[in-house]
Amino acid sequence: MNARWNLVLLPSAAVTLVLLFGTQFVFLRAGFYEDLGLGLIGDTLRIDNYVAAFRDSFYLGALWLTIYLSAIVVACSLLLAYPAAYAIARMRSKWAMLVLAAIVVSSFVTVVIKVLGLIIIFGADGPINSLLNALGITDSPVRIVGTLAGVVIGLMHYVLGFLVLLLFSVIRTIPRSLEEAAQIHGASRWRTMWRVVIPLSLPGIVNGSLIVFNLSMGAFVSASLLGAGRVLTLPVVIERTIVLQTEYGMGSTLSAILLGSVLIINVVSVLLVRRMRAARLVVA
Amino acid sequence: MTVRRSRFRMEGVVTGAVLGGVLVFLLAPVVVVMLASLDGGDPVAGRAFLNFPPSSLSLQWYFGIQPRLFHALWNSLLVACFAAGVGTVIGVPAALGLVRGNLPGKTLLVALFRAPLQIPVIVVGVAFLQTYYLLGNAFGIRITGSFIALAVGHLFVATPFVIGSVGSVLSRFDTSLEEAALSLGASRWRTFRRVTLPIIMPGIHAGALFAFLVSFGDVPISLFLASPQYTTLPLEIFHSMEFDFDAAVLAISTLIVFAFLVILWLIQKSVGLDALLRSGGSG
Repeated sequence: MNARWNLVLLPSAAVTLVLLFGTQFVFLRAGFYEDLGLGLIGDTLRIDNYVAAFRDSFYLGALWLTIYLSAIVVACSLLLAYPAAYAIARMRSKWAMLVLAAIVVSSFVTVVIKVLGLIIIFGADGPINSLLNALGITDSPVRIVGTLAGVVIGLMHYVLGFLVLLLFSVIRTIPRSLEEAAQIHGASRWRTMWRVVIPLSLPGIVNGSLIVFNLSMGAFVSASLLGAGRVLTLPVVIERTIVLQTEYGMGSTLSAILLGSVLIINVVSVLLVRRMRAARLVVA
Repeated sequence: MTVRRSRFRMEGVVTGAVLGGVLVFLLAPVVVVMLASLDGGDPVAGRAFLNFPPSSLSLQWYFGIQPRLFHALWNSLLVACFAAGVGTVIGVPAALGLVRGNLPGKTLLVALFRAPLQIPVIVVGVAFLQTYYLLGNAFGIRITGSFIALAVGHLFVATPFVIGSVGSVLSRFDTSLEEAALSLGASRWRTFRRVTLPIIMPGIHAGALFAFLVSFGDVPISLFLASPQYTTLPLEIFHSMEFDFDAAVLAISTLIVFAFLVILWLIQKSVGLDALLRSGGSG
């Protein structure tokens, strides 16, 4: 019985293997070719691109900015998504279904359309600025598009729905009776939250944070359009290097650096959590 | 008791308020795009972009949708159907093998099938672009800028959603149902078709839908793999926002959101949205 299922798996595994390793190998190798201008690349493997990327404060700054913004997005998204997911998990199931449907719809609407909406909302004549102006809080329009705050808001909009759905599926599995038990023994609501609910959902929080971090690190549309050419995260720089400057070698090098950073940060986080778990600093 | 009850409410108010804020934040841009598409001002390039709420209502932008945009929409639909269709053909057997099989190094295989989701999407685009260049230069297979070039790139990131969705249904599957069918004399193929397949169907539907939506909404991969002759709608909207704003994209975006709502409503009518939610979300 089992052997049959193994056979079923093989063609799919072969296709995925070829697509994954084929494309990754080709592009990683391409990062070692020198750009000769006009989209041409050299024919000898050199490490010059990597040296240039790590020497140039422009590229390093873009990498650092991407990591920094992604970390802020993780923190802000968790702060909003966790209470929201908790509220859905403890809601009557009929309402919860409706709210979940709304979140799924908004999460899967084409990203460019949502960014288009965000840019209108935060535009100089947009509703936010009109409101601030009408309330007399500001005289001149506040610029959000083209600032770090704008990019953070855009990235949060991109990831928030997914994070709420993921945290909801974890919190839902925590029986309410555990919270009641803690309260019967005299714990306050906040203490119950901090000492029972949050520790039990920690694996979901860690998992969700990593997913949000990875999505933010690779996000292009939100970063590009809400950054409006003023906030240059690494994905935006990669696009410019390849599409505008036609430096295919350097573009591949930068892509490899982005991929490497994401992988390293993921592995380090997983190891850290495992060590904390071993030291019983966290329950999981 | 009264004290505890009031505290309980307080917490409910806080989490409820955050949830309300999150919902407004998530839905507002979509609503704003729909309202802005009804703007009745003079059709000056770039103006409607900044004009919200609309001063007068009109459908002028809907009549101003260029054939180019409809053509791009058609391309997007074809590519997304390919990604969802072929993704299902690859993904369903993969999920069956991963959950049911006993291959050594199964965790490695799970990681292999999930890998496309771990790679930043923009890197996937660059990697496929370089691969197509190499195929063209070294082997004379020139597929850069073609339908298949774009569709395979999308397929790569869409398949894991089918595997995740079908896999999560399968792992909750009660195998005694299959054993019952087999012991009652049904062949393996008949058991699969009449017992296994119907049970995992909601997972397949959900996975295919997610795969479709992931492909349909993509920009970072299409950015590198599309050509001026073969472009997708999200890419057209992206370029319009980046360079030369055409308010007709608000109109076509609104049409897409409506189409999306109709599809979800049909799903709700046929298999039920809750079945979809229960099986999905694991991608």
